[in-house]
Amino acid sequence: MNFNEKFDVIVIGAGHAGCEAANASAVMGCRTAMVTLNLDLVAQMSCNPAVGGIAKGHLVREIDALGGLMGKVTDKAGIQFRLLNRSRGPAVQSPRAQTDRAIYRKEMRQLLERVPKLFLRQGEVTSLLVEQGRIIGVELMDGRRLAAKAVVIATGTFLNGTIHIGTRTFSAGRSGEIASILLGQSIRSLGFRMGRLKTGTPPRLDGRTIDFSLFEEQPGDEPPVPFSFRTKKITQKQLSCYIAYTDERVHEVIRRNIDRSPLYSGQIQSIGPRYCPSIEDKVVKFSDKPRHQLFLEPEGYDTNEVYLNGFSTSLPLDVQEQAVRAIPGLEHVEMIRPGYAIEYDMVDPTELKSSLETKRVRGLFHAGQINGTTGYEEAACQGLIAGINAALFCLDREPLVLPRVSSYIGVLIDDLVSRGVDEPYRMFTSRSEMRLLLRIDNADERLTPIGRKLGLVSDEAYSAFLAKQDRIKELKRLMQRHKAVLGHSSTDAFCEVLGIKLTESTYLSQLAKRPEVAPEHLRMLLPREVADNCDPDELSVAVNDLKYAGYVDASRVQAERVLRAQSKKIPADLDYADLPGLSREMVEKLSRIRPETLGQAARIPGVTPAAIAIINLQIELMRR
Amino acid sequence: MYAEIEDTIAAVSTPPGRGAIGVLRLSGRLSHKIATTLAPNCKLQKVRYAQTCDIIDPETNEKIDRCVLILYRAPASFTGQDCAEFNCHGSPFVLARILRLCYAQGARPALPGEFTLRAFLNHKIDLVQAEAIRDLINAQSEYQAKLAARQLQGELSRYLQPIKATILEAVIHLESRVEFVDEALDTHSIEQLEQQLAKVATQLRRLVDSYRFGRLVREGIKLAIVGRPNVGKSSLFNALLQRDRAIVTDIPGTTRDTLTEVTSINGLPVHLVDTAGIRQTEDVVEKLGIERSYAAIADADLTLIVLDSSKPLCDEDFRILESCRCSKHFVVFNKCDLGVNENLLKDYKGFKVSAKTGEGIDELRQAIFNYFSAAEERPDLLLVDARHHNLIETALSELNLAKSRLKEGFSEEIALFHLHNTLSALAELTGETTVEDLLGLIFSTFCIGK
Repeated sequence: MNFNEKFDVIVIGAGHAGCEAANASAVMGCRTAMVTLNLDLVAQMSCNPAVGGIAKGHLVREIDALGGLMGKVTDKAGIQFRLLNRSRGPAVQSPRAQTDRAIYRKEMRQLLERVPKLFLRQGEVTSLLVEQGRIIGVELMDGRRLAAKAVVIATGTFLNGTIHIGTRTFSAGRSGEIASILLGQSIRSLGFRMGRLKTGTPPRLDGRTIDFSLFEEQPGDEPPVPFSFRTKKITQKQLSCYIAYTDERVHEVIRRNIDRSPLYSGQIQSIGPRYCPSIEDKVVKFSDKPRHQLFLEPEGYDTNEVYLNGFSTSLPLDVQEQAVRAIPGLEHVEMIRPGYAIEYDMVDPTELKSSLETKRVRGLFHAGQINGTTGYEEAACQGLIAGINAALFCLDREPLVLPRVSSYIGVLIDDLVSRGVDEPYRMFTSRSEMRLLLRIDNADERLTPIGRKLGLVSDEAYSAFLAKQDRIKELKRLMQRHKAVLGHSSTDAFCEVLGIKLTESTYLSQLAKRPEVAPEHLRMLLPREVADNCDPDELSVAVNDLKYAGYVDASRVQAERVLRAQSKKIPADLDYADLPGLSREMVEKLSRIRPETLGQAARIPGVTPAAIAIINLQIELMRR
Repeated sequence: MYAEIEDTIAAVSTPPGRGAIGVLRLSGRLSHKIATTLAPNCKLQKVRYAQTCDIIDPETNEKIDRCVLILYRAPASFTGQDCAEFNCHGSPFVLARILRLCYAQGARPALPGEFTLRAFLNHKIDLVQAEAIRDLINAQSEYQAKLAARQLQGELSRYLQPIKATILEAVIHLESRVEFVDEALDTHSIEQLEQQLAKVATQLRRLVDSYRFGRLVREGIKLAIVGRPNVGKSSLFNALLQRDRAIVTDIPGTTRDTLTEVTSINGLPVHLVDTAGIRQTEDVVEKLGIERSYAAIADADLTLIVLDSSKPLCDEDFRILESCRCSKHFVVFNKCDLGVNENLLKDYKGFKVSAKTGEGIDELRQAIFNYFSAAEERPDLLLVDARHHNLIETALSELNLAKSRLKEGFSEEIALFHLHNTLSALAELTGETTVEDLLGLIFSTFCIGK
């Protein structure tokens, strides 16, 4: 076959997954092409202009710790930063930022353009070129053929996308952009099991026509907490969001027109995310609620556009307008873009190995919404792992598989490839068995050494990381040896601030465990020279480590057990139908999903402990 | 699950019910440590060596049984791991107690076929044997499936479902507070949740407490009647049985051998053992009988020491009282129709009965029953299975931790850590709750969608 150009890795799509994939693969030394329909829309935020939130902010920190881009770009493009769950424990605190869409695109594109081995190409990929079960390249609409050893598909909602607004439907990848229909056909023809999902987005409003005085202002944190471990300080001006509510009049408009919503007319059959329901779903399913909360979010510094978060809808235009204008303060609002629902194709993620490589075609990787997930952060972390593994594939090295127990990324990928999805998959902290271990402030400790080994962490960043870890360790040692001494003036001051009494001299590491004790309280008890000099973030990591030491140890014991079970590999040629004692349903599931390890098999719904014992025995029998 | 081969597992490996001896096995890393903790007076670290030792409850320092302990060092053991084997007396009551002590020290109940599975995985048995085990596990899994189906509609599950529902509700509210901070959700207050949890903790506590009695109801207790000759042991035996089973004469030494019969006291199955009278004798046959009397004392859950209330205590009586000092016993003054020494009665906190007239027998029966049942407020349901008991006890202690953490002002995720442990302990009895189930409940309870 003749090729116009040759690459090691081709990434199809330049969204949040595509950007991370292309960057990782190129930084790891592979000649990488990122092919996209429109190079002006690299890293476009197709839905809300925000990054992070509980569990999602955790993912961004993990991406950053591994050497990914999302955290750095968000710190540059953020226009409002908040640390969520401040009143709760460190394990469930997470950063969230509103972002300027345009700055986000620009910053990401600039970062990518600085990567020597990364080549941007505009064009529509129409088919995958496969030879003897192995990917060899892609073909574009204009006839160009690009060769590659590995390909990452990160096409978001573009695969066979259909937009719904009221009874009108049309083909599109995003509002105003064309869908990838031929590529969808090419994937289907390779035999992949495909499904269809739905998601939605709310209308965008003209800020000049909103009476902000009627809404509750929600300012950003001062000082803002950055996403990236490498960001020292965020200096840009912050903008506020505003909290609004629907009322009975709004609900009445929606109820009256509910038969014109494609969700209720039967026009849309596929499943949307339950945690991001449309406004029509909220009104119908929670009819006893007198009001629903909405957020007015600015889209950036240089635009009047305002995103009406919480009002995702596919109602017809006239109904959207009428309903929005029923909200007090939005009576005269002008709608710049309507809300819409979009249906798109996905590939069953149980078609993937834990490396995100497909089991069907060697060298082909899937990342992001194509795997049934929703959210920029979920997409980006898959892009990063797919990019890393595409590069490792080219370099003929073992793939990177992050264990469930040490990262949310590991949890996400393991959930996808061993359980599949019934609805768009979003990350929650409750999905992790190790929630108390997976904090945002120790993501670097957990993952930076791995990023370093892959070549994604620079010398400078790595030595800063090592020095920080040393200082944290030293702080912890100090707190384990140092006591708050009864009668000492610092101890008195400490007790007075907290309104507590100590009955005996107590180690700082013990005091750290008390729920009311915050890192800064312990600073009062540290030796003078340390107290004056230690960095608040590092002190906080040290205290958080000590605070939950008991829980973390208990979790680690559990984690090690999980790891051991996980580690046992299941031979690829194991014939489940041959095994006695497995129900037909289990045989069907196991044969289809083909779990790679015993741990993965155990997490497949419906597979019992006894079945795992049988498989374990069979593995031993096959070994002899 | 079976794949967790590093866990230390414990099980009684002799058939269920009452046998002459009961063998309790441990396999795994902690086996020797657990064995040495429970049997502190044996000369340890010597493997493949049978040593007699006492099993002591490390919490209460109470002696539970005298047994033979054998330690095995990996890989030279049945499973190929470190193992310990207690050969105890056959009382299911005692065995269950030792098993519980093993759990408290870090072992977990073994699953069906698990010892053999480990033996296979460690190359201790061959393929043919392994195939046989696989069939066994298969059979077990079918049995478990049936059992699970039955349990799901069964009493225990019915009792636990509302408890689980309450815990789940608390979990949903706590999870939602953590995951959806921006949503202004109408969740219960921490105080409200604490109260809900306290209520189910009480219910679980009752269930856990019912096990001691539930176990007895299933296995029965062993009651030995001992005393010197001619104090009326056999008469008491018959009186408690409510029929003439043992031969009663005035001739000392009529009962030459132990005699066991089953009766019930208020529904509690009782293995009643009549024994030969204990005295110094040269008669070979009688001597053998007396040895058996002592064995019966050792094996009994409760011993009734019978004294003649119409006569002063003699040396034989004192010797018997002395030899029973360490075992659970009641002192029964029989023949109260012929006279009573109130001082002695008081000194020994004895029971005053007459097997002949029936006086005091009902009170004695009631006292025996109370001794074993002792529960104040019992649920309609009794826990009888050791494994169920173990699971529910774990669930309860995790639930209590969750409650205390909330009270102490820890934030939700800490309480949730314990509540998820509670749910997973209950999972086997109530069905598993997956993350997807939880999310489903959250999204149907609260309108979430920023």
